[in-house]
Amino acid sequence: MSMIKTEDICASFGKLDVLKHVSLTVEPREVVCIIGPSGAGKSTYLRTLNHLEHIKNGKIFIEDKLLDYYENGERKYKIPPKERAAELLEVGMVFQRFNLFPHKTVLQNVMIAPMNVKKKSEADARKKAIELLTRVGLADKMDAYPNKLSGGQQQRVAIARALAMEPKIMLFDEPTSALDPELVGEVLSVMKQLAEDGMTMIVVTHEMGFAREVADRVVFMYDGQIAEQGTPEQIFQNPQNERLQQFLKSVISQ
Amino acid sequence: MELLQKMIRWTPQLLAGAKITILLTLASVSAGLIISVFLALGKMSKNKIIRAICSAYVFFFRGTPLLMQLYFVYYGLPEINPALTINNRFLAAFIAYGLNSGAYCCEIIRAAIQSIDKGQFEASKALGMNYGQTMKLIILPQSIRRLIPPVGNEFIMMLKDASLVSIIALADITKVTRSIQSSTSSSLVYIPAMILYLIITAIFTIVFNRLEKKYSVYE
Repeated sequence: MSMIKTEDICASFGKLDVLKHVSLTVEPREVVCIIGPSGAGKSTYLRTLNHLEHIKNGKIFIEDKLLDYYENGERKYKIPPKERAAELLEVGMVFQRFNLFPHKTVLQNVMIAPMNVKKKSEADARKKAIELLTRVGLADKMDAYPNKLSGGQQQRVAIARALAMEPKIMLFDEPTSALDPELVGEVLSVMKQLAEDGMTMIVVTHEMGFAREVADRVVFMYDGQIAEQGTPEQIFQNPQNERLQQFLKSVISQ
Repeated sequence: MELLQKMIRWTPQLLAGAKITILLTLASVSAGLIISVFLALGKMSKNKIIRAICSAYVFFFRGTPLLMQLYFVYYGLPEINPALTINNRFLAAFIAYGLNSGAYCCEIIRAAIQSIDKGQFEASKALGMNYGQTMKLIILPQSIRRLIPPVGNEFIMMLKDASLVSIIALADITKVTRSIQSSTSSSLVYIPAMILYLIITAIFTIVFNRLEKKYSVYE
């Protein structure tokens, strides 16, 4: 069984084709890092998996269940909305700009979805939230509002908030790109711990060190396509694709 | 000295008028706010028909004078069908003003909702919340803080628009003032009347400033 399988995904913004026939399969417990220059379609691809972006063509499976099937802009298959919502709950997402709820405290941010979507009791939701916030090292910030936290702390809350829904797959959309350099490490170490605990993860990132160290597989996207993929060793030490070679050169020279 | 005595003598009547003015303002804008939440959501709906109906409503009530709307509710509706006769002047004014205020508040609420960062909708969706939950738990509570200043403004505008009800002989501050003016043939009564309007405006202003502070804790 694969966790996520996509076949032939195409998406466009108006006339601009952003994704061109992207196919990728992610196995359980696998950590896949997607790298590439900006505008390559990395974030868009990730967002199609969570239905934040529409696709024009292709199939999306989550846990082998077909959720979306389009051919040339035409919908070919419609899953009952309830089943689809249930399956999407298996997918958690962390955003570049955190997107915490500013009018809720840290603890409420983590409790709100389990209580309202999963109908958990307040006591259960609180217990789980405290456990998760402790795990990301923020047990002492539970009653603070997000605006009182640093970017790194906010992103760790966002991770705890996503984990509170007990997803099987976590999507990270450039989780450290909006952070000051000295705050990147604390977020990456939480993510590394998560990977070690066996979470299936897809991470769009510019942190090559993280990709090299944590990823099982690295995917290089260029111009809306997967240009090359392989183990970190293959990608970083023996890149074949010319664009990838250029990209790595420009990243490392920085 | 004589003026001061006169003013004191007029005060009870003016205060009775103030009661009508304040009640009408509070009731109309409150009803308007409730109507406007639905109008605003309707104007942002994906359904074309709902969107068109809500837009037409707003267009009509913002595009015609409030005075005419008031005349029409009180004098026009009974002519269309006697069953629509509204004998209670306060009720007639409340209906016209509430409907009118709904149109203005709709744009306030829509602007506040649309000023909320798109990321808030995305995060809610990614956590599995449906549209209703997202609006109720995430978007509307955040909009409130941004609604407060323009809604405060709407209250103050409505307070003065409420003076139009004197034309259907509802005894608000303006109507009372005009009666005193004609019975005493003195126009000095406008001085305490205007002071009264200023006091009510000041109270509204203070209340809304407090509310704004209260809802600003997280910004």
